[in-house]
Amino acid sequence: MSDFLLEARNVSVTFGSGSTKVEAVKNVSLTLSAGEPIGIVGESGSGKSTLARVLAGLQPPTEGEIYFNGQPVYNGAKSYTGEARRQVQMVFQDPYGSLNPQLTGLSAVAEAVRIHDKCDKKESEVRALELLKRMGIAQLDALKKPRQLSGGQRQRVSVARALSANPTVLLADEPTSAIDQSAQAQLLNLFRGLLNDGLAIVMVSHDLGVIRYLTKRVYVMKDGVFVESGVTEEIFNDPREDYTKLLLASIPGHLGTAARKKLHG
Amino acid sequence: MTTQNPLLSVKDVIIGIPHRRRETLIIVNKANFDVSSGEMVGIVGESGSGKTMVCRAIIGTLERRGATVLEGEVLFDGHDLAKINEAQWKKLRGKSIGYVPQSALAGPNPVLTIEAQLTEALRNTGDTKNIKARSKELLDLVKIRRVDTVMKQYPYQLSGGMRQRVMIACALATSPKLLIADEPTTGLDVTVQSQIMELLKEIRSSMGTSIILISHDLALIDDVCDKVVVMHAGATVEVGTVKDLENPLHPYTVALNSSRIDVAAPGSELVTILGSAPSVGQWQAGCRFSLRCGLVQPDCSVGEHPALIGARGSHQTACLHADRLKGAGAR
Amino acid sequence: MSTATHTEKNKVKKYRKEGTLGLWTGFGMLGAMILAGALIPRLSKYDPNEPSLIPMLAPSRANFFGTDSLGRDIFVRVFDAVFVDLGTAFIGVSIPLVVGTIIGTLLGISRNKRVNSFIGSLIDGINAFPFLIFVIALIAFIGPGIPSIILALSLVNWARYARIARTRAVVVNQQGYVEAARTLGFSKKRILFKHIIPNVSSETRAYALSDFIIVIIAVAALSFLGLGSKPPQAEWGAMIKDGAGLLPINIWWPTVFPGLALCWAGISVAFLAEGLNRRLREVNV
Repeated sequence: MSDFLLEARNVSVTFGSGSTKVEAVKNVSLTLSAGEPIGIVGESGSGKSTLARVLAGLQPPTEGEIYFNGQPVYNGAKSYTGEARRQVQMVFQDPYGSLNPQLTGLSAVAEAVRIHDKCDKKESEVRALELLKRMGIAQLDALKKPRQLSGGQRQRVSVARALSANPTVLLADEPTSAIDQSAQAQLLNLFRGLLNDGLAIVMVSHDLGVIRYLTKRVYVMKDGVFVESGVTEEIFNDPREDYTKLLLASIPGHLGTAARKKLHG
Repeated sequence: MTTQNPLLSVKDVIIGIPHRRRETLIIVNKANFDVSSGEMVGIVGESGSGKTMVCRAIIGTLERRGATVLEGEVLFDGHDLAKINEAQWKKLRGKSIGYVPQSALAGPNPVLTIEAQLTEALRNTGDTKNIKARSKELLDLVKIRRVDTVMKQYPYQLSGGMRQRVMIACALATSPKLLIADEPTTGLDVTVQSQIMELLKEIRSSMGTSIILISHDLALIDDVCDKVVVMHAGATVEVGTVKDLENPLHPYTVALNSSRIDVAAPGSELVTILGSAPSVGQWQAGCRFSLRCGLVQPDCSVGEHPALIGARGSHQTACLHADRLKGAGAR
Repeated sequence: MSTATHTEKNKVKKYRKEGTLGLWTGFGMLGAMILAGALIPRLSKYDPNEPSLIPMLAPSRANFFGTDSLGRDIFVRVFDAVFVDLGTAFIGVSIPLVVGTIIGTLLGISRNKRVNSFIGSLIDGINAFPFLIFVIALIAFIGPGIPSIILALSLVNWARYARIARTRAVVVNQQGYVEAARTLGFSKKRILFKHIIPNVSSETRAYALSDFIIVIIAVAALSFLGLGSKPPQAEWGAMIKDGAGLLPINIWWPTVFPGLALCWAGISVAFLAEGLNRRLREVNV
């Protein structure tokens, strides 16, 4: 039914009804192949987070279908089941809400490892520590509760937790928005490493700088629809839509300055 | 940029939190920089670098957090802000110095309409005539359209970007000489961020207001500021113009520059800074960047934190071995 | 003012955590009372229920708190009442806490509109009534006695916990870690019991502590009205009522000592609650 690893076909998501109807996503289609990094860029309110949650199986679409490995994902309100469920994981935007405040980083990741590897408690902790180490979280920090960790550290613990399922697709919803520039660089390096390991990543962001760094293809989203899409480098060098040009001009630093020059001649 | 009689001069400031049962906790040691009239200065550093605390010292809200300036001077317009009392603060705070807080944290009072907020801010000037007209002028100044509608609205009805503009408008009510914007665009979309930066630049050029912009994003500061102050673990480690910082003289600045994604080639390895800044209370001797520095020498880890080398107003650095950096990390 | 050098700062002096004083005081006071409640009735030579002494004797070395109108030693009665009052209040808080938290949580995460609005209205309805009056009305229906108090309290109080739990559950349900648990394929049972309920109950448990004080007083108040413990069982509220009639003739001891016991209980729990609050606040900063 679908040749791609993950595909969305004519997906729409509408919340509420009558006077309070909100069309968050309107007739959107996208594809993702194995090991590919793609981006969905747009401002807040564009519907990109909703779309990410639809792809993750957390939000059933009002219309349209999602296919994973050729199979439809949604069956009524139910989504990914069995083997497929572990293959598609997500990292959320707010580092402060993405970890259970009562669990240490180690417990959180070990719990996920236990469920997926079906090993005993001790073994799961060993594997969890290793995973956390790969994410740059030292053993000392793994034993801390989330409130004792920085935003960047929390994000990395979340990534470790997501990776414990050994996924083939990672959806990242604005993972760098709430953290420092230096922590951002660490996280992006991490993602780059995961790409090299063969993971497919969908990066949702409002910052084209991040998209440019990490992705090969990008979809530009505004008010629930894709206004432009294509190869990331081409979008940067030759944006067609005004909205895309606006986004480019807003990137802080040199990229933005260059884009602004092009915009104003 | 001349530093003869700068508008604001932060000299060797040390800020700490005295505690009745423990030792005084030092959070800034030492901060050093000047802001001239009409200048836009960016203070960049990671969370915990002390950049916000220094600005709290400038607007006098340290007491509320139990902190106080232990040493040094904060000279503004003839007063030493480190030594004035609350009564004197009432005359200064919010009048000659304005403050715009982080967008995510504070914001307009949720139970007051925008008109009410502006009225309060304008009352501060002592002149109560024509408040409504002046309120509308302020909203105009921050480029808010549909002024009449917005005046009657409540903060929850406005977007994050518009709320920040209202905060800027309130801060500008008294035509302050200095405006401090503390991470004003954190949590806002880049498009909104870009607009707010444009706004600040315009305010600077049209009203001659000096602006201190606090951020963790070097790329942003690079875009809009004239001068940059780099802070790490409570100390000022480099000061210079934006052009100066194209050839940074401190390993920390070099690292910050190298980790910028706007200059990195797509898919390349981003240079990151090892570890994290030592947290307050766990500062080691000597230069507090030494544990993360690639050029560390034995003399970097002893004694007091290195002071800024170089004359005030020139390109200063707190690295004892800055000469080894010449050329490295240049953009 | 001198500035501490870097090397000095490395010596972190040992210091007491915030709230410790409150916690120790509270625990100490409550613990002492419970210990006394266990030991004194056993060790005393007086029987708390036998009217064997001369009534209305003033406090003396023989009878620390004096005797009441029926000739019973008040000292031993006050402590005999500890388990009744504190125990009833404890159960009267625990049951609503557990029931309310579970119902409120399930309501907060449920997407079934009809169930949600039905039980939701029930909760709001119960909460709208003045607490004590509702309880009294229920007891009038069920009949007096300690078990009735517990039943009535449970039937009324669960709604307050449920409301808190429901609000909190809605928030928790939307948090990243719960959504992550879903994408990670955790079972619904695991998500509910390991992730949602613990983070909801942190709020209801905090409420329970301050509710405890209210319920202690409520239990005493209900017994004062004659709806509680059956005589001759000692109980602070009932003792206060018995002694109330004697106040005009300056016989203060049958009323004051049980009253002080009530205060002691309430204050010790207040210390505990405050100490806990401070400790949690410091940790979260």
